[in-house]
Amino acid sequence: MLRLKRWYNVDKIQTSKFKLLPQYKLKCGLEIHTQLNTNKKLFSQSTNDPFHSLDTPNAHTSYFDIALPGTQPILNYEVVLYALRLSLALDSKVNLRSQFDRKHYFYGDQPMGYQITQHYSPFASGGHLTLHKDGDGINDIEKKINLIQLQIEQDTGKSIYRDNEKQTLIDLNRSNVPLIEMVTQPDFTDLKQIRAFIKKYQNLVRHLDISTGDLETGAMRVDVNLSVNDFARVELKNLPNTSSIMNAIKYEYQRQVKILEAGEGEEYLSHSETRSWNGESTVKLRSKETTIDYRYMPDPELPVISLSADVIEGVGKSLPPSPDEILSQLMTKPYSLSLKDARILTISGNSQDGIYSQVELLKFYLDTFDCYSKIVEREGLGEVKHKLPTNWIIHELLGDLKKLQIPLEKATAILSPEKFADFLTFIHSNKISSASGKLLLFHVLEDFQAHGLTKQINFDELIKEYELQTIDQVNEADLKKLCQKIIEAADSKMINGIVSGKKRNSIKFLVGQGMRSSQGRIQAQQFEDMFKELLCSNNE
Amino acid sequence: MSLKTALSRIRSIPELQKRYNIFINIDPSAEKRLVDNADKELPLSHLVAGIKDNIVTKDLPTTCASKILETYQSPYDATCVRRLREAGVVIAGKTNLDEFGMGSGGIHSHFGPVLNPLYPSTKITAGGSSSGSAAAVAAGAVDFALGTDTGGSVRLPAAFNAVLGFKPSYGRISRYGVVAYAQSLDTVGILSKGMPVLRKVYNVLNEYDSKDPTSLSNDLRKKANKLFKEKGKLRIGIPQEFLQASISADYKNLFFRFIKELMDMGHEFYPVTIPSVKDSLPIYYTLSPAEAVSNLSRYDGIRYGTRADTTDIENGTLFAPTRANFGREVQDRIILGNYNLCSETFKNNYVKAQKLRVGLMNDFDEIFRGPNIISNSKGNVSGVDLIISLTATGPPSTIESFTSAENSSPTNEYLNDVFTMPMSLAGLPTLSIPLGNDVPLGVQVTAQFADDETVLNFADRIVN
Repeated sequence: MLRLKRWYNVDKIQTSKFKLLPQYKLKCGLEIHTQLNTNKKLFSQSTNDPFHSLDTPNAHTSYFDIALPGTQPILNYEVVLYALRLSLALDSKVNLRSQFDRKHYFYGDQPMGYQITQHYSPFASGGHLTLHKDGDGINDIEKKINLIQLQIEQDTGKSIYRDNEKQTLIDLNRSNVPLIEMVTQPDFTDLKQIRAFIKKYQNLVRHLDISTGDLETGAMRVDVNLSVNDFARVELKNLPNTSSIMNAIKYEYQRQVKILEAGEGEEYLSHSETRSWNGESTVKLRSKETTIDYRYMPDPELPVISLSADVIEGVGKSLPPSPDEILSQLMTKPYSLSLKDARILTISGNSQDGIYSQVELLKFYLDTFDCYSKIVEREGLGEVKHKLPTNWIIHELLGDLKKLQIPLEKATAILSPEKFADFLTFIHSNKISSASGKLLLFHVLEDFQAHGLTKQINFDELIKEYELQTIDQVNEADLKKLCQKIIEAADSKMINGIVSGKKRNSIKFLVGQGMRSSQGRIQAQQFEDMFKELLCSNNE
Repeated sequence: MSLKTALSRIRSIPELQKRYNIFINIDPSAEKRLVDNADKELPLSHLVAGIKDNIVTKDLPTTCASKILETYQSPYDATCVRRLREAGVVIAGKTNLDEFGMGSGGIHSHFGPVLNPLYPSTKITAGGSSSGSAAAVAAGAVDFALGTDTGGSVRLPAAFNAVLGFKPSYGRISRYGVVAYAQSLDTVGILSKGMPVLRKVYNVLNEYDSKDPTSLSNDLRKKANKLFKEKGKLRIGIPQEFLQASISADYKNLFFRFIKELMDMGHEFYPVTIPSVKDSLPIYYTLSPAEAVSNLSRYDGIRYGTRADTTDIENGTLFAPTRANFGREVQDRIILGNYNLCSETFKNNYVKAQKLRVGLMNDFDEIFRGPNIISNSKGNVSGVDLIISLTATGPPSTIESFTSAENSSPTNEYLNDVFTMPMSLAGLPTLSIPLGNDVPLGVQVTAQFADDETVLNFADRIVN
């Protein structure tokens, strides 16, 4: 009898309705390939620049990269240093004698017919990355993701398929670019953890300055292995961005749940297989019967990477504090930042329009904060207003820089952390109002953009020159006159509302008018008091 | 080393080529180069060389005697070639070989077999795989030739052509630009008729090269120079394992007469034993095909070399049509190598062979007086300075009988290297010295790793 094989396909991923079912336990592990941004490639002196040169294919290729006969690999030790930094940041145990192996398979963009990797004796093993509810946004208070190993290996070239012309083009700029493959234990139990891990790992490699960490360009590539209720694991490949990673997992989970619900797990889920995400569903690439035997062989000419404990210790000491450490430092005294602001200073994004890097911004903030609190203490100006530096740096300064397209690095030529702290002190002690401060800051930067650095900024002089200083001693009569003018010019309905007490809040509008006409030099409270006196005294 | 001799060598090449099929490509401008450089005073001026065609040159193709690289032109010179040119050598051409260095008869070439110049009227093999290099020297076409020795490929043809064949310690001469067969064993070697030329060439090539990850470091070279001092009378070992019953009585007599002469010179002889020598053949034929199959994976026809006309894929196997252009012997070793590397058999074959190889190295360390600068063996105080054995078990055979023996079993050919492989596996400096003029019989002289000087000093005193 002919038996029809059933195909378990999920029609559509129900992204919004997706839910993990308690009786079907999801278990996932990740395998992440990260391109290192070293100057040179892994085993040659070619420039490591796989993306910049997309329109000039095969430009960054040495004789070794294209596997000419007689060429030999020479290990770039910069890669070893980068791998050490990452391994130590992940608490992974570094192998004092790791080795390179050849993994054999034929492909057009694999010029040697094998990839040099570390199979038998990887660079580092064990380690972990811990996720937190605060900061990483997972459900549990804390979730430790354990790592299996980290290994150094070569990237392959790129195949560009032209189906119409029945041609495949090969670009070997990426060939022999250094990669670190990091494999986790199957410790993930929900999607939030996976999303958070990828983000955190991405931020870590950026923080360590060893990779751009971008998924979009392929500088970081994620494969997922997944099983439901401990059936055989399925590997998911071809996941170019976070949403395809999430959607592929959702799809595959639902597909397997369907099989299990039909009681056919034994039949369909007892052998591991590799599946590829095509944007809508996962499709089988290969299963046990069709796996390739990679015929791993220790590379017969590359030397063992032999490391001394001293070197490892030295690299460990040179590591910057981890993003988690910085985050908690920023959220406690004296900085006491909100989680949101602290994250802006800690997370390395890739969409900062080239205005600043996270490292620069954090340094600028910390230095400014330091200078500002010293001035406050030295001059006896009372308590440090801990929100002042973030408010003015993140919200005001960055906004101005973006508007004017001045990189932070350049702006520090006129606005060193010391200068900026001076400026903050004027606001701290009400020498100028916020409104004036905003105008002044923008003016200074605009002038810099137009004329460059002509002379050092002297905020004291500028405030005097533009008469921005707040008027401490306001002439009562003048203030009264100004306020009466504003009331007269205002809409009479509104005034009536204020007077009757029905629309008392409209008084804020009048205060605003006053601030504007005094260019912020008279404090809002003084206006409010005067308007109340003029309009509301009868009622009280 | 006069210009006149050099010119006559180059002018003899077309005729010799017709008779012995020595070269794959001959440089038509060699004579002009020789004349152009006639006035330069360089260490190797007026010397004409042949380069085995698995060493890349940028002015002549490098074919490895394979159809798959039939027209391949390298854009760069191998380090050893560059050094020779800089020292004034004129390269006459690229010498024929067994395809990719695989073979011991010089018959596995896409360009036809090399014939042994010692036998102008019979078709006798020249030995392999550096067949053309040995024949070029024997026929007088060149002053010296470079070969490569992976399991005996310099020494065996040297013996069969009655010339000197020196395989230095592994790592002494740069392999950059040497097309890999099995790079844990591959060693560039020098063939010549006299010691003065061989030594001069060796001195030019014996330099560290940062482009070769296995090149012996300057530190280790210095260490070896300090350790190994020139000695007058030597302690010489005769390994029992090399005195096989299969050696003919004639050969034995010649060998013992040679030893007698050495004894008369005052050298002391000792029987020594290297038990692991019996493992050499299985170790060699486990490791070398494994490395070979890996190294040969790059020949897919995409970037260079021969490519199948119509398709890159056959029955779902990528590059099968192109790779069918490998010769039969190469294909045999690819199959053997793949078998050795299969995940199911890897531990039983490859890993075991690696362990046995270390055992063999230890056995050698036990019999030498000098220390081993790599394994850090301290040396045996009652050990020997040199060991001496025959290079081959018998004389070269006719092309016909070689081919028929090989057709009955491909492994017959493997037995020819049984005396030369152990030194390759241990990376030891070994020189094959002809036992008489125009007699295809050689003895090989071996010293401790990196003690190349003792081998060369010894030969200086006894050759000619």
